[in-house]
Amino acid sequence: MWDQVSQVLNRATVRVVSEVVNLLPGIVALIMALVISAIVGGILAFTLRRSLRSIDFDERLRRWGWFPGTVDTRMFRSPTLVASRVVFWGIVLIGFLIGIAAFDAALTSQFVSSLLAYLPNVIAAVLVLLVGNLIAQFLARSVLIGAVNMNLQYARLLSQGVKWLVLVLTVAMALEHLSIGGDIVRMAFGILFGGIVLALALAVGLGSKELVSRSLEKESSRTPTEVEEPFRHL
Amino acid sequence: MELEVIPQEARQRLDQIGGADLVIGIIGAESAPKIGSAIEPVNRALASLSAGVKTVVFHNASHDEVSAQLHDPEGNGSSLWIGYPGLTPNQPVSPAQSIVEAYRTVFTLSDGLKARACVLIASDLETVTAQWISRLVQPILERKFDLVAPCYARNKFEGLINSAIISPLIRSLYGRRIQNPMGPDCGISAALLQRFVDHGSSPPSSGRARPPMSIATDAICGSFQICQAYVGRRFYSSTDSMNLSSVITEVLGPLFLDIERNAAFWQRVRGSQPIPTFGDPLPVAEEIGTVDVRRMIESFQLGSENLQEIWGLVLPPATLFELKKLARVAPDRFRIPDELWARIVYDFTLAHRLRIINRDHLLRAMTPLYLGWTASYALEMETAVPAVVEQRLERLCLAYEAGKTYFLSRWRWPDRFNP
Repeated sequence: MWDQVSQVLNRATVRVVSEVVNLLPGIVALIMALVISAIVGGILAFTLRRSLRSIDFDERLRRWGWFPGTVDTRMFRSPTLVASRVVFWGIVLIGFLIGIAAFDAALTSQFVSSLLAYLPNVIAAVLVLLVGNLIAQFLARSVLIGAVNMNLQYARLLSQGVKWLVLVLTVAMALEHLSIGGDIVRMAFGILFGGIVLALALAVGLGSKELVSRSLEKESSRTPTEVEEPFRHL
Repeated sequence: MELEVIPQEARQRLDQIGGADLVIGIIGAESAPKIGSAIEPVNRALASLSAGVKTVVFHNASHDEVSAQLHDPEGNGSSLWIGYPGLTPNQPVSPAQSIVEAYRTVFTLSDGLKARACVLIASDLETVTAQWISRLVQPILERKFDLVAPCYARNKFEGLINSAIISPLIRSLYGRRIQNPMGPDCGISAALLQRFVDHGSSPPSSGRARPPMSIATDAICGSFQICQAYVGRRFYSSTDSMNLSSVITEVLGPLFLDIERNAAFWQRVRGSQPIPTFGDPLPVAEEIGTVDVRRMIESFQLGSENLQEIWGLVLPPATLFELKKLARVAPDRFRIPDELWARIVYDFTLAHRLRIINRDHLLRAMTPLYLGWTASYALEMETAVPAVVEQRLERLCLAYEAGKTYFLSRWRWPDRFNP
């Protein structure tokens, strides 16, 4: 009996060892693919970083309002750094997918196909986020300047409210494109959006009720000519 | 095409007289109901000119209504009055755009009639006198000038955008001391008119429309003969606070574009020269009393608190620091130095050229700064007599001229020179 047990155990051990030995070339190929992709990614990221710095990419985005001047996280302080790291890790990911093909080409093929089918959604979501951010910055600035010129004390609050309304809408649309969350995201967006609007209304209506009513009384009691007497600008 | 819109009988009369020596365009959205009051001053002005000056007066009132008021509706004498509906825009546009379109129309009509001189009257007709018109015409017809700019009799708080920005900026950059480079009333010779009318294959309706301030700068750049004439009191329309930023945008936008276009010229100009001036200044009764500038100072302080991010893209750190100090000063001691104000205007001109931010946002963000300057000026000049006001404005112009070196450096090296 003990002979039979040892034979079974020996056969199982041989099978396991042979499976591991069969996997070794694939593992070596995966490691090689990762190393090569890391080197290529590093070179491309370095080149991209140099190019973006030569055209003052960070400064241009800051002027356009795409990127605030102060951000706590070190990585997000520089869009150039973000772009170069995205390129680097993207190429490493491609190298990983190529390396996986060494184990099972069919599995990799299916994985890559599903990834490529999802890619247009990712691109659309990124575009929606970029355009939404641009629109949010533009509208926030327009509202801020307009409210300051109308002598509204809550100009900055209005501007931030408009900006966050647009950003929340943008993020919800991006998540919709990525098919993330589904109904939960829609519900959360509705609650958040409505909450921001309600908060703005309460802040302006109740929180600064006296200030707003005094301000509105002053404005309504003056005629346009009275405000500017005796000045004639044009 | 413009001539085809003229009523049939008027066109026949035009064909009979074969053109005109002088075209007068009475434009402005409010001139139509008051056109009757302009008939007598125009006729007396024409009577003071040398004989034989064939004149056509285009106006935007009803042709038949005005003809009924004329002694000589068929223009058998020296003047022919024609109601031209194209002087009033069909679509609702801003006052600045309507004046630009009216200018373009009158220029094209003058060119079509081969007139030697063209006079534009855009001011309220209640203040227009015979002297007003003759002083805009005589230097062109009799002394061979190409542009006659108006000098209005005004009190110290009228025409503030012109006093604060337009006149001193054009003086320092282009080297000519013109009181009102933007008009809007002016007299133009046929030679200068040619610059504003397109010839060739494009139809007259698509001719280049120059904003009013471009006329003076184009005349300077083209080495035309420029003069100015004291014409009298002008009625200034009121601007409420809601529209002030729109007015600033409409006025300063074309001015800054003009500066960018003529950079090769004004970079070579040093100092400024006075231009010939005709007539005597009319005194204006100054009964203004105390002025309330609290709202303007509040606007400045609100702008300083909320627009630092935007101003920081346009103004250098030294200027921002001074503005922050000013925002904390007590209202009765609120004063913006001329040198600081000149640098601010120069910085905004440069930012407009570089498109640092959206141009509309840029010009609207300038409104609190302009209101701050106005408040500072009003507090200084509250009890000042006209002579003191003139000296004060002259000091401001000299500050602009002194700051031109700063502007030149920033214009040529915007990234390297940032004090």
